[in-house]
Amino acid sequence: MRIRWIGVSVLVAVVAVVWAASIQGQAPAAAPAAARQAQPAARQATPAAAPARQATGLARAEDGHPNLNGIWQAMNSANYDVEAHNAKPGSHPELMGAWGAEPGGMGIVEGGTIPYKPEALKKKQDNFKNRMLVKVTNDPHRFDTGDTELQCFRPGVPRANYMPFPFQIFQNRDQILMVYEYKGAMRTVFMDKHQEAPVDSWMGWSNGRWEGDTLVIDVTGFNGHQWLDRAGNFFSDTAHVVERWTPRGRDHMMYEATIEDPAVYTRPWKVSFPVYRRLEANAQLLEFNCVPFVEEMMYTPLGLYNPPNRSSR
Amino acid sequence: MRNRMLWIAGAAALATVASLSMTVLLAQAPSGTKKALPQTATSTDAAIKASADAFKKSVELKNYTVPKKPWGEPDLSGVWLTATYTRLQRPEELGDKEFFTEEEAIAEYKKAAESDAEVDPRTVHYDWKEYAMDAWQGGATPNLRTSLIVDPKNGRLPPPVPEAQQRRAAAAAAARQLDPMLGVKTFGNLYTRCVLGLGAIPLVRGGMPGADSAATAAGVTAEAFFFQSPGYLTIVMQSNNDVRIIPTDNRPHVPSQVRQWLGDSRGHWEGNTLVVETTNFFDPKPATNFLGSTDQLQLVERFTRVGPNTMRYQYTVTDPKTWTRPWSVESSMPRVDPSMIYEFACHEQNYGLINVVTGTQIRFREGVRDLRGNGAPE
Repeated sequence: MRIRWIGVSVLVAVVAVVWAASIQGQAPAAAPAAARQAQPAARQATPAAAPARQATGLARAEDGHPNLNGIWQAMNSANYDVEAHNAKPGSHPELMGAWGAEPGGMGIVEGGTIPYKPEALKKKQDNFKNRMLVKVTNDPHRFDTGDTELQCFRPGVPRANYMPFPFQIFQNRDQILMVYEYKGAMRTVFMDKHQEAPVDSWMGWSNGRWEGDTLVIDVTGFNGHQWLDRAGNFFSDTAHVVERWTPRGRDHMMYEATIEDPAVYTRPWKVSFPVYRRLEANAQLLEFNCVPFVEEMMYTPLGLYNPPNRSSR
Repeated sequence: MRNRMLWIAGAAALATVASLSMTVLLAQAPSGTKKALPQTATSTDAAIKASADAFKKSVELKNYTVPKKPWGEPDLSGVWLTATYTRLQRPEELGDKEFFTEEEAIAEYKKAAESDAEVDPRTVHYDWKEYAMDAWQGGATPNLRTSLIVDPKNGRLPPPVPEAQQRRAAAAAAARQLDPMLGVKTFGNLYTRCVLGLGAIPLVRGGMPGADSAATAAGVTAEAFFFQSPGYLTIVMQSNNDVRIIPTDNRPHVPSQVRQWLGDSRGHWEGNTLVVETTNFFDPKPATNFLGSTDQLQLVERFTRVGPNTMRYQYTVTDPKTWTRPWSVESSMPRVDPSMIYEFACHEQNYGLINVVTGTQIRFREGVRDLRGNGAPE
């Protein structure tokens, strides 16, 4: 009983804040339906949206918007480094050889370089040096650590979209659900009831809208622990990410994310890359529940990991 | 010191919940019952009366026409509460009595809610009544059934096969012989380790007074978010955000080599009922699957929306390596508003596991050998 309370208390802290906010957030929901319905029409009339609206050959949902349902995946090496990078040996070449080596890549950053403030660039470089640092504590120091992916933490946005795992989009008129194979991380995109992020989180709070055939998602409410890749690129809890998902045919979309964070960057900057539909007839997300994969690494230094087959009994 | 900091943080959080609990009750109450609700979260009697009134109004509507999704399927979407006070197994003294009278059902509910609200300093650190953590405050309702199990007729689990008895005996013996260097995998159960949340499959497991009731019955995370889109029902649990993606086109299962914690689910529609068959379960030793079952577990769930705010939920469990025959459950899940789920980043901040394992190691060194309830394998 005690154990469960310990675990639950953390959740409760989150839920408590969320409840408070969700209660406040219910007020806008009462806005007149007519006003809400008027918004998409107004957006479609914007010059930027007009050309995209004419795209043909797209699968469409019953409401006329592009139908993004399906399993998608990016095909790039940005998860190693979002900037252009050479192929190189991995962190433990003495053990991992070519298995652990990292492919080169052209990068996905528009203009090539992330516009860090000087002190933030220093932190990025420190991050890289400490990328395999694991610090398991029962206080907030557990987040003074290396890459979150190493410890099976949620990847945040936009990183989740270019990790080397498929993800699945489930689309409704009022909500869009995105489920990522990595960790089974999920996010709900609210298309109708927009609200300010009620609480900070790993995956952020997503408010979505259609601009012509482009799904635009405003993501805020990050907790500031997100890394963008294994190279130490990062943003803070003041980050604001605007994603643009634009289908270019039935089986691929262009993805763009503008990242704004005055605490870290001198100006907003952008990543872009295509995502492709997984066309295998039997394509399906499988579980990648990585918690059991990281327990030995995380808990051995504390003397807390000892699988039964290693005990003396 | 570490422990104390944690308790302070937890208590602060719980106090916040307490102040909000009234609003949550209002949000989750069936329409028409709001006036009957208590003005403070500590009024057990008033909450029980409100639940009883809602129950009497009947959760299943005759001639109910289930709304349809634009693509023609019955609409199952929403957040559904998986908490219940109804026991999985019928108490033996009730014999073949399948149903309570209405008065008995309300009395049973009252008894469970009051025991839920009681403080036992040996087992809990918080007065749930004050902190809105009880199932009765989360929306669990009375039930005429005396047990969730409807088959066999005695409302009890079928006898285990000899192999299952041996497995349990071996696990119990191993638990007694654990050495002091036990660690995460030996002590931590799947929930404590944040590998799985509570009750993603099957969803409703019964209020089992004693060891497991708090976690499974408490209302705070016992919520399942049903997201329906053409060809899929996707269930996201509030607890641990476990995700079940269920294709409803009856495609073949993944190959038998592919094994998963939550199995591999396939659905098809039979009239207004979505029938979901799940196989390909993982063998999670030293933990087990649902109720000690194995990787041979096969689960058939049936989802039927029988009212605007009620989902009938039936399931049949088959595992020839565990039980001598299949057995079946019938229950219902009330709808919860609003229709959304929040991030549950369990592993990311699993402070508790450090304390749990450290504490249990210390207790073991102090000579405590019965560690059940502390996450030791059962």
